[in-house]
Amino acid sequence: MVVRYLYLLYSIFRYSLSRDMEYKTNFIGSLFVDAIYYTVWYYFFEIIYSKTTMLGDFDREDILVFLIATFFVDTLFMMLFDGAGYLREHIRTGSLDFILLKPVNSQFLISFRYIRSYALVSLFILSIILYHVLHTFHPDSLKILNIIFFTISLLMGVLIWYSFEFIIASLTFFFRDFKTGGWLSHEVMKFSMRPDSIYTGFIRKILFTLLPMALVSSVPSRLLLHGFTYQNQKYFFLQILIVSILLLMTRFFWKIGLKRYESAQSYTGPVI
Amino acid sequence: MIVWFKKYNSILRASIITALEYKANTIVGLFAIFTGLSIEYLIWSMVYESPSNNYSIDGWTFNRLIAYIFLAMIVGQLKSSWATSFEMIMQIRQGFMNQYIVKPISFFSYNLMSFVGSNILFYIPYSILIITVPIIFPNLIFINSIQIPFFILAVIISIYLSYSIYFFMVCFAFWFGEVRSLLAAYNISMFVLAGQIIPLDFFPDSYITIINYTPIPYLIKFPVDIAMSLDVNYYEWINMLSVAFFWCIIMRLLGAMIYSIGIKRYEAYGS
Repeated sequence: MVVRYLYLLYSIFRYSLSRDMEYKTNFIGSLFVDAIYYTVWYYFFEIIYSKTTMLGDFDREDILVFLIATFFVDTLFMMLFDGAGYLREHIRTGSLDFILLKPVNSQFLISFRYIRSYALVSLFILSIILYHVLHTFHPDSLKILNIIFFTISLLMGVLIWYSFEFIIASLTFFFRDFKTGGWLSHEVMKFSMRPDSIYTGFIRKILFTLLPMALVSSVPSRLLLHGFTYQNQKYFFLQILIVSILLLMTRFFWKIGLKRYESAQSYTGPVI
Repeated sequence: MIVWFKKYNSILRASIITALEYKANTIVGLFAIFTGLSIEYLIWSMVYESPSNNYSIDGWTFNRLIAYIFLAMIVGQLKSSWATSFEMIMQIRQGFMNQYIVKPISFFSYNLMSFVGSNILFYIPYSILIITVPIIFPNLIFINSIQIPFFILAVIISIYLSYSIYFFMVCFAFWFGEVRSLLAAYNISMFVLAGQIIPLDFFPDSYITIINYTPIPYLIKFPVDIAMSLDVNYYEWINMLSVAFFWCIIMRLLGAMIYSIGIKRYEAYGS
């Protein structure tokens, strides 16, 4: 079964690649957007660090690692789970029928509907930048174990984003036309784009539990910078626990939602 | 002007009615303002706690900075027409431009009114927020009541100017088909570079010198500066409003020029 789904993923990738190649300007443009996105946020933190030397535990060099971790999460999320955002439209128009009729797990198919192929280029560039930053500013962090834990933690960060996007999109089953769902999930995700050390007290507790955005990029950065320390072990296991709960919740919302699905408008247009 | 308004008023009304169907937009919009503000509040409170910063940074006290970010976020959200622009790109790409060719409707004006109408649910709560700001931040915003009409005028110009810039970029869809990435790049960069989350005073002088030759300062900085001005300076405000108005004309003309060339290339493919 695993092989079958891997093959399906490969087929989706081939289809997405040929689709992306139809609009080459957009393919190049998307890389351009990523470059601007990285530069703008780097510039934002440059300005902040021109006014201070530390943001909690993160100094100027640490924040570079945090930023790259955030970009990795964002790029991986866009690459793998961009299709999850289209769930709202599928439910609203009734085109979800076409996905439900296929002999594969519908949540799998809806989640991996598109793979943004341009993101592979961005990931490659980010990897080079990360290596350069680590080599220049944090040579002690360039250890195999740190990189392994960083990668696992990063993937869990992506799964946290995916779960929130998917759960919020699933609310369309209940509200019929939840157009603002995409905006809402973006606003929730915004909390993960600042280092966790700026959050204190009650907000910090919330961002490590109910709304676990502090676990998305900050924990991978900490694991890469400081290794598998006692504090980081706690964060890492908390991440595993939270991701497991969130993934179960996506299944729960999906199954409950499907029971309410009414194939809204007998959709006859193209399947998006 | 009256004829124009009468003609497009029905579109405005229709989009207001549609907007009223989606009241959740307002709640999410307010949530966006408060999450954005709380994140910036936390990050800047940490910066201001730093021992090297003695009460103010570049002449900005903490309260003044938070008041600025608060207003800038509201203005930034009001002027942002990326959702309408994405729809306009889809119309060009999917061959829905025929209606603008065969009917006496302007593509620019139709979508402008549609954008204004669909934002109606934001205007009311944001206006309430802006009215309450002077209570939360006394002596920082609207010290003199004459600032209010100038601020409203600057916001209207900002919305029009921002829409004209988006329209200019949208028209490139006639050549490239898909230009959403261009708009996304612009949207992301304006978030920081137009001063929506950091005052432009914090940027290097070289950057400020360059952007003073562009319409960027009139999108967010100018309306917020009027609201937060400590003195009434009619001469400077009128002068700045004139420059902003000049940029509106420039961008509108550029948009019209690109549109008139682009529409000749339009093939109604997929209509």
